[in-house]
Amino acid sequence: MPYSSIFKDHLANPRNVGELADASAVAEETNPVCGDRLRLSLRLRDGRIEAARFLAYGCAPTLACGSALAEMIEGMKIEEALRLTRQDIARALDGLPARKQHAAALAIETLQAAIKAEFRGQNSE
Amino acid sequence: MALRRVYLDHSATTPVDRRVVEAMLPYLTEKFGNASSVHFFGQEARAAVDRARREVASMVGARPNEVVFLSGGTEANNLAIRGVAEASENYGRHIITSEIEHSSVRGICDALEKKGWKITRLPVYDDGIVRIEDVRASVRPDTVLITVMLANNEIGTIQPIAEIGSLVRKEREKGNRHLRFHTDAVQAAGRMHVDVESLGCDMLSLSAHKLYAPKGAGALFLRRGVRLVAQNVGGHQERERRAGTESVAGIVAFGAAARIAGEELDERVAHVRALRNRFEAGVAARIEDVVFNGNRERRLPHLSNISFRYIEGEGLLINLDLQGVAVSTGSACSSGSLEPSPVIRAIGRDDELARGSIRFSFGKDNSVEDVDYVLEVLPRAVANLRRLSPLYQKATQARACESETV
Repeated sequence: MPYSSIFKDHLANPRNVGELADASAVAEETNPVCGDRLRLSLRLRDGRIEAARFLAYGCAPTLACGSALAEMIEGMKIEEALRLTRQDIARALDGLPARKQHAAALAIETLQAAIKAEFRGQNSE
Repeated sequence: MALRRVYLDHSATTPVDRRVVEAMLPYLTEKFGNASSVHFFGQEARAAVDRARREVASMVGARPNEVVFLSGGTEANNLAIRGVAEASENYGRHIITSEIEHSSVRGICDALEKKGWKITRLPVYDDGIVRIEDVRASVRPDTVLITVMLANNEIGTIQPIAEIGSLVRKEREKGNRHLRFHTDAVQAAGRMHVDVESLGCDMLSLSAHKLYAPKGAGALFLRRGVRLVAQNVGGHQERERRAGTESVAGIVAFGAAARIAGEELDERVAHVRALRNRFEAGVAARIEDVVFNGNRERRLPHLSNISFRYIEGEGLLINLDLQGVAVSTGSACSSGSLEPSPVIRAIGRDDELARGSIRFSFGKDNSVEDVDYVLEVLPRAVANLRRLSPLYQKATQARACESETV
């Protein structure tokens, strides 16, 4: 399998799993092609992502990207988080196979949806 | 401590038996002749190929001259289906097959369909088994071929091949003289008794590497008198039915493996069935929300296909692999397609169950300790993945609500 050891470690020991009880921003996005899902809950305070938790269903890259994303953004400034690209996610996993880039795209979409939901005040789901 | 490795993917391929390796090695070194050569070296190779032909024929109750050696199961299926299609197209262009054939048979039928052939794909209902009434109702005057596998590669269900065989015989007696019957026995051979006479098939595909022989050899049983058009031309090998220098060492290995499989069949079947049953009982006792796929009685003894609700097969496969356990999945992600297993879909499971299906296939060298190790590792891996599944979280919340209202 063309997956890196960091990738496999995220699968075996996913970081930041779960749902924040006091989340201020939540989003759940679905990849319409394969049905993969990523759910992200964030606690945003003073322009920062104070806490981030994820849940994911789908193929291995979707799980690994969710874990890598949640780990990466905790403590990050919101404006910085909004500048993240799917390449950043792929890089954190030591690369993704070409056919699996959509998993990183789903991670970025979910992150942006969550932050937008907070700013629109629609974060109660 | 070294990681324990447990190989539970014998339906994908098997390790080569030591005895088989010993039988084939001389044909790579000192007995290297081309079986078509007239000199001593060639005749030595020819004698070995003929012996292997008798051994393979004997495993399936065929005559030696009814065995065509080729590169493997996929080629056997290609020769059988395309070969008969090309030989029979003046009599009709209709083929009956099932919804759960191996991808090679599926691919060949799809390709013929694009060329204007009519293909009937029989349903397998929720138990994964074709119904003889459906076969009977599908036969038309222009049907020239029925191709239904003996046992399925993903869920192991055994198809009513002998019944179809006798139906075909009756159809021929009624005047449908050009109707032929092929069965893909790649998964079945070595795991159940296979006899071309009692099955009543005209053609039967075999692969060496599912029988503890190396990859690269296979055979098509081709009943005497059945005409087909060779798909490999340009040489006289295999009585003009498959041109190309025989892979002598591979064929010798196939022969030895077939002979040993015949001798040890009962023992192997009892061994893998006991392991498989112990495994399934353990899974049922330790893991909630699992679905066993395929008829539990009429299936190969070495195979178990289980869908784990709320999770996807690829993540589970990788988690198990990290703990030394090798399995395979019907999940689309690992196969490179977008659609999850057509076999699991054909038995009426939803997408989620198809994506969460894992095939465990046992072999003669697995032990009770292997099973117990997997039973220790698997529930943990499933629980870990469920912990991060939004589907699982929703389901458990819903259950909690239900129990509160009761």
